Parts: sequence; structure tokens; C-alpha cells
Amino acid sequence: MIATRSPIVRLGIQAASPLALLAGLYLLFAGHNQPGGGFAAGLVFGAVVALRTVTGLPTPLDPNTLIAAGVTVICLTAVAPLLGGNELLDQQVISFNVPLLGKVKSGSALPFDIGVTAVVVGMIMALLDGLGAPRLAKASQPTYPLSSTINPKN
Amino acid sequence: MVWALLALHVVGIVASVAFGRRSIHLGLRLAAIAPAATGVWALMGLARRSDPVVYELVWVEALDLVLRFRTDSVALLMAVIVSGVGALVFVYATGYFGRDAEGGGRFAGSLLAFSGSMLGLVLADSIWTLFIFWELTSVTSFLLVGHKNSKPEVLLAARRALMITGGGGLALLAGLLVLGRAAETTILTELAPVDGAAGTAAAILILVAVATKSAQVPFHVWLPGAMAAPTPVSAYLHSATMVKAGVLLMALVGGAFVDVGAWKILGLSLGIVSMLWGGIGALRQVDAKLILAWGTVSQLGLLVMLLALGTGKAVFAAMSMLVAHALFKATLFLVIGEVDVRTGTRQIRELGNLYRTMPVATASAVLAGVSMAGAPPLLGFTSKEAAIEAALGVTGTEGTIAVAAVSVGAVLTVAYTVRFLWGTFGPGPDTTVTDRRLAMTIPAAFLALTGVFGFIALGMVNTVVGRAATELNEKSSVYELLRWPGLKTAFVISMSVLVLGVGLGALLIRRPDGDAPDAVGAGIADRGLDGVLALARTTTGRLQHGSLPVYVATMALVASLASIPFFTDVSVGHLEWWDHPLQMVFAVTIALTALAGAFVRSRLGAALTLGAVGIAVSGLFIAQGAPDLALTQLLIETIVVVGFVTGLGHLNREFPSIAHTWRNVRLGVSAAGGIAVVVGLASASAAPSGVAPVEALAKEAVDVGGGNNIVNVILTDMRALDTMGEVVVLAVVALGIAALATSPNASEDTPSEEAST
Repeated sequence: MIATRSPIVRLGIQAASPLALLAGLYLLFAGHNQPGGGFAAGLVFGAVVALRTVTGLPTPLDPNTLIAAGVTVICLTAVAPLLGGNELLDQQVISFNVPLLGKVKSGSALPFDIGVTAVVVGMIMALLDGLGAPRLAKASQPTYPLSSTINPKN
Repeated sequence: MVWALLALHVVGIVASVAFGRRSIHLGLRLAAIAPAATGVWALMGLARRSDPVVYELVWVEALDLVLRFRTDSVALLMAVIVSGVGALVFVYATGYFGRDAEGGGRFAGSLLAFSGSMLGLVLADSIWTLFIFWELTSVTSFLLVGHKNSKPEVLLAARRALMITGGGGLALLAGLLVLGRAAETTILTELAPVDGAAGTAAAILILVAVATKSAQVPFHVWLPGAMAAPTPVSAYLHSATMVKAGVLLMALVGGAFVDVGAWKILGLSLGIVSMLWGGIGALRQVDAKLILAWGTVSQLGLLVMLLALGTGKAVFAAMSMLVAHALFKATLFLVIGEVDVRTGTRQIRELGNLYRTMPVATASAVLAGVSMAGAPPLLGFTSKEAAIEAALGVTGTEGTIAVAAVSVGAVLTVAYTVRFLWGTFGPGPDTTVTDRRLAMTIPAAFLALTGVFGFIALGMVNTVVGRAATELNEKSSVYELLRWPGLKTAFVISMSVLVLGVGLGALLIRRPDGDAPDAVGAGIADRGLDGVLALARTTTGRLQHGSLPVYVATMALVASLASIPFFTDVSVGHLEWWDHPLQMVFAVTIALTALAGAFVRSRLGAALTLGAVGIAVSGLFIAQGAPDLALTQLLIETIVVVGFVTGLGHLNREFPSIAHTWRNVRLGVSAAGGIAVVVGLASASAAPSGVAPVEALAKEAVDVGGGNNIVNVILTDMRALDTMGEVVVLAVVALGIAALATSPNASEDTPSEEAST
């Protein structure tokens, strides 16, 4: 892995991660009215996870947990309308007033999208695990401290 | 009610598997609840003579995927047999198996699963419902026959039974398809007569299925082998229920084939040959259980023959025979199981004087045996009489053959019955007998007494059997079973049969030579099955060769061929260079990067050029005004490139060099794919399907989904079910990847040094 040898890339990714996560969150919440949505958000989060994985940075979540949680959320969203006498997967729109922000409109599409996001991220993590990315990254981890790895022979 | 009963079976299966693991007796007792309840329900339904009720559960109406059950007299009568005998067999099995028998949960669960499948089969009113439960009985019977799965010969027998009945299931599927199409209905009770080539094809296919399930020559070889099963299984599956499925099917669809010559000729031949060959087979056996098995082949042959005749009288005789046979044959199996458990042998030459040591079992066996031989005063006598009457009622050559066959078959039946009874229970070497087991004796005695009761309360039997037969053939309504038929031809024949049969049986009581012949043709059948399996292995090996490039090439080629019909729709006049000049820029970029990807030698280079292609495509989307699509495409490309680069760590840096021919093949496939895409797009743009639905969708998105992003509203609301399905697919794929990654093979292939440095 070329990337893991470079502290600049590592630090860059470390610094960019929160920003990318914010961007993903934006896509997730804006998706219902503007370009974005759960799938796109999942891909952004997935990209963050992928970059962190190949550079050997920690990824806090486990793919199986994410996938299980995502599928559970989606199934719950799907059957929840049945309780209210509506059809399976019927969209429930609610709007309420939030101080400072004003009127906020949301619906059951949001938890559905969150579920999609979780499954997509989990899927990407599983894929990377399957390809052995964490092991590769570990095998080519720089020895601590970082500065000692700037070595032209490598 | 039917749903509740089927649900009760399912609950029972779970409970008996869970509790049977610890104690087989508890598992069996729990399992007995569902058939007992069903038996009571069916008996009450018969007694009340209420109108048939149809239970329907529509799954996909357009595809005719419907579970449909009906509670008419035929169905209820069969349900009484299936569940009544079933409940008794469960009780009996608690005596048959010791407390610490292995695989208790498995046995109790499979037996109840079979019972439930059989119940579904007899109640089915749609040919597809019937088919589903038919196949379920094949599978569950495989599990039951192979219960003692540590013995190779048991496994061989189970496999033989599964392959033959399973193959018959395929014939049944084809036959039902043809029949359903020709009769224009899939409802069993509404089948109209069919004729012509379709009728003949359906008749032959269905008769093959009947012959495999009901063990007719030449497909009978699985039945004697299946005697390797525990005796409760043989008593239940191989006498009272599963082997009757074929006969029941014949009875149910027989009305549709009245005009089809092949049905009658083939059915008669199958029945007659099986009746005679089965009888001869029974006379050659020295194992009491095998005598019964061969006897079953013979009796089933008689039923098939009667149903092939198809007259009102014959159908009536067949139904009464079916009931009588279930009662006496199940009794005999139960008794022989008890003999087996308490003496340790079933060889008639080693058994002797059981009439002294096992008096109740002997009495049950004698009652059932007399009924089987067709001697008065038992139910079997009246049925045999009806069968002879039915044969006599047929005119012409057919009639002569039928009468002769029934008479000879009956002589053989009497002979093997005498041999069986005398050989097992009569005088001979003293056999040591262990303690009695009431759980085994009582069900057998109870079943034996039903034969007596049936003769005493013949009026009741007449009503029930008559109603059932009338539903199958309305001309059956005028017939009834008689206690004393009078000195008519049929009676004379049956008395002569008895005398001849007893004489023949007495001659053959202890066969002098000691070999116990296996089913003739069993070896051929096994070799045939081996051949089928070998063929399957070869074809699978050829088709699933494991070469990824060849798979991809095959898929791409087939997809390209699909474009051939669209060649005529292409019109060059409609094609424009671009809607926006930017599109051309991206198009050229795509073409160049794709070409570079094809020529580059290093794998990393190929991955990167492919990524470039993808990013250029997303540019095309932006030029087209689809930011959503472009965003997704861009993100996907990013992830894919990362994935590729990670994956490349496992491989050599450069592509291996490939053979000239293979290179040309790949070029050809690529060219075909390219042409196919161009043709598809050009023909689509030449014939637009009308107004784009954007306006309507945009309105609906806001009104229904409460969002302005149409794509997102479609994904999360309008087509949410599809999205849900896709998410589940993703989850399953992820699980698959995890499984592959953690498999022993994957953990060994550590990345090669040269690739990672």
C-alpha cells in the first residue's frame, strides 16, 4: 500500500474525516429535497471508512453490526405504518417547529434512508475486510514514530 | 380450520424437535397431538356430512400461486386415514423406540412433517397445492427412510426412494402443466375431460408419477428397499399413506382422462403387472416385513387397475379397497414391528410358536390377515368382492383380462397371507420373546378391530365410501358393499380363490432354498441412478468450470445476442451528434480512457483507467442535467478504485500474457457487446415511447412523498419495497463476502511481497 507509507496522506485523511462525515450527513438529511439521499451518504461514509482502512487508521464500527442495524431499522420503518392501519412502507410525513430553525418537515423516509446508509457502509466495510485491506494496511504499517518511515528505500 | 390444523402441525414439528432431542418419547407424544386433532376434526366432518368448504390463500394471483384446500368426502376420508393412522403410529413409536434412542427429535419432527405434508396432499384442491405437498412427502420420506443414517445400505435405500419418487415428481410437474393447460383450470374438482395429443401426454406423465409414488412395476424397486426404515415409518408411509398418494392422484384426475385411450391401457398394464409381480415377489421372500412390502406392491396394482378401468363400480371398489388396505396393512406392519423388537428377527424360518408367546399380536395379525386375504367376515372380504364385481362388469376382452388378473392376483394374495401368518406365528422353532410392550400391542389391536367393526357397521362404511366414490365418479352412487352377496359369480370366484390360495400358500410355507432375493431390477435402478449422478457431475463440471473470464464472456455474449431483434429498428436519421457540445468532450474522454484500459499492461493502470472512464461518465450525467446520478456515480467510482487497488495487493502487478485465440475471442465478445449497446440505444432513441413521465412524477413526489428530490422519493416511498429488497440483497452479499473471507482458503493467501512493496 503506497498510501500508508506517506504520513501526509495519513494526516490528510485524518483531518478530512470529520469534514467528509459532515458532508455525508448533509447528503443524508438533504436527500429528500436536493441531490443526495441515503445511498449517496452511505457511499461518502464508505469512502471515509475505506480511506481510513487502507491507511491503517481506526474504524470504530463493525460491518456486521452496521448491516444488522440497518436492515432492522428498514424493516421497522416498513412495518410501522401497519400499526396505524396504513399500508406496508406507507410514507408518514410530519412537520414541527424547532426553535431557531423554524418549521422542519420530516418523514418516515428519513429512518429508511438511515437504514440504507448503514447497510451501504457495512457492505463497503465487509468488502474491504474480504479483500484483506486491514491486514494489508497492517502489514505495511510504518513503525512508530511516523517520522522514521520517511525513508527513500521504501 | 384447515389453516389452524396445518399450523398445529408446524408448531408440533418445532415442539417435537425441541423436546425430542432430550426424550424421544416426549417428542413423539407432542407430535401425536396434531394428527389426533386432525383425525377427530375429519371424522366429525364426515359424520356431519356438511357441504365441502374451500380454503384459499392467494399469494400471486396472476401466476396462479394459490394454496387451495377442499373438505369434500374424498379429502376427509383420506384425512381420517392419514391422521388417524398417524396418531396411532406415534403412540406405537413410543413402544418401538427405547427411551434412549438416538435422533429422537429428528425422527419425531420428520414423521410429523410427513404427516402434515400428507394431510396437505389429500386436502389439496389445486394441482399446484397437490404438487407442492407431493414433493414434500418425497423429501420427508427420504429423511424417514434414512433415519438410521449410519448404515450404508439404509442410505442407499433412502437415496433410491428419493431418486425414484423425485423423478416421478418431475414427470408429475410436466404432466400437471400439460393437464392444467388442456383442461383450462388448475382446480382439481373442476377438471374437464381432455383429449388429443395433450391428453395423451398428460396421461402418460401423470401415470409415470403415479407408478413411482405407488411403487408400480418397474418403479417398485424402492419400496422393498425402503423397509430399511424403522417399522413405524413403514406402517405409516409404506402401507397407509404415501404409497396411496399415487392412487389418490389417479382417482382425482381420472375424470379428466375418460376419453384418453393411453390412460386406460397404460394404467391397466401397470396395475395388472404390478399386482401379479408383487404377489409373486411376496411369495419369494423369507423376511416377514418384505412379504408385506411386496404385498403392498400387489395391492396397489389392484387399486391402479380398478381406477384405470374407471367405471362407477370400479371406482367404488377402489375406494373401499383403499380404506380396507390402509387398515389391515398398517396393522400387519405394526405387528411385525413388535415381533421384530421382541424377538430380534423377522425371518419367518427363525420364528415359531408366537401364537403362544404373543397372543394379542397374533390375534391382531390374524384378523388383519384374514381381511387381506379377502375372506369373510371382514372388511377386506366385501372390498375384494366389490373388486371382482367391478371386473365382471366390464365387457369384452378388457373384461376377461380384468377378471383373470383380479382372480390370479387374489390367489397370490391369499397364498402370501397364509405364508406370512403361518410362517411368523405358527409352529416352528421356539423363539425367545422379551417383555411385552403395550404401546405397540394396543395400536395394532385397535387397527385390527376397525376391520371387524367396519364389517359389522357396513352401512356406515357404505355411506362414507359411497359419498367419496360418487364425488369421483357419479355413477358410483348406486353401489354398496354387501355382507352376504349371495351365490353369484363373484362369490363363487372369491371362494375358489380362497381354496386355491390356501393350497398354494401351504405348499410354499417354508421355501427350501435360503436366499432372500432382492428386488429384481434394484441393481439396474441403482446403476441408473449412479449414471444420473455422474452425468450431473460431468455437466456441472463443464458448465461451472470456475473460470471467471469465461463466465463473463458467456454472459456478455448472450446479452449481446439479445440485441439482434432490434437491428431493424435502428434509423440513422434520428441520431444527433449531441445535445450539448460538452457531451462530446466527455464521450471522447470515455473512449480514450477505455481504450487505454484495454491496452495497459499493469493491473493498477487498468484499475485507474477504469476509474477515469467512470468519472467521465459522471461528467456526462452532469452535462445531461442529472446531478443526483452524477454524484452517486462519482462516489461509486471512488470506492471501486479503492477496492480495486486494495484487491490488487493479492495479485501480480501485470496481467499475464494470454493465448492468441483467447485474445481474439475476447476481442470478438467486446465488439459484440459494443455493437449491442449501440444498437439498443439507437433503436430506443428512434422510437421514443411518448411523453416523459417527469411532470407527473415531480407532482406525485411532493404530494405523496413530501420531497422535491424525485429520485429519492421514488427510492424511499414509491418503490420503497424494491429498495428494501435491494438492501437485503446487499446485506446478504456482505455476509457472503465475510464467509468467503473467513474460509480456510482465503486466510492462507497472504499478499505476495512484490505486490505490496
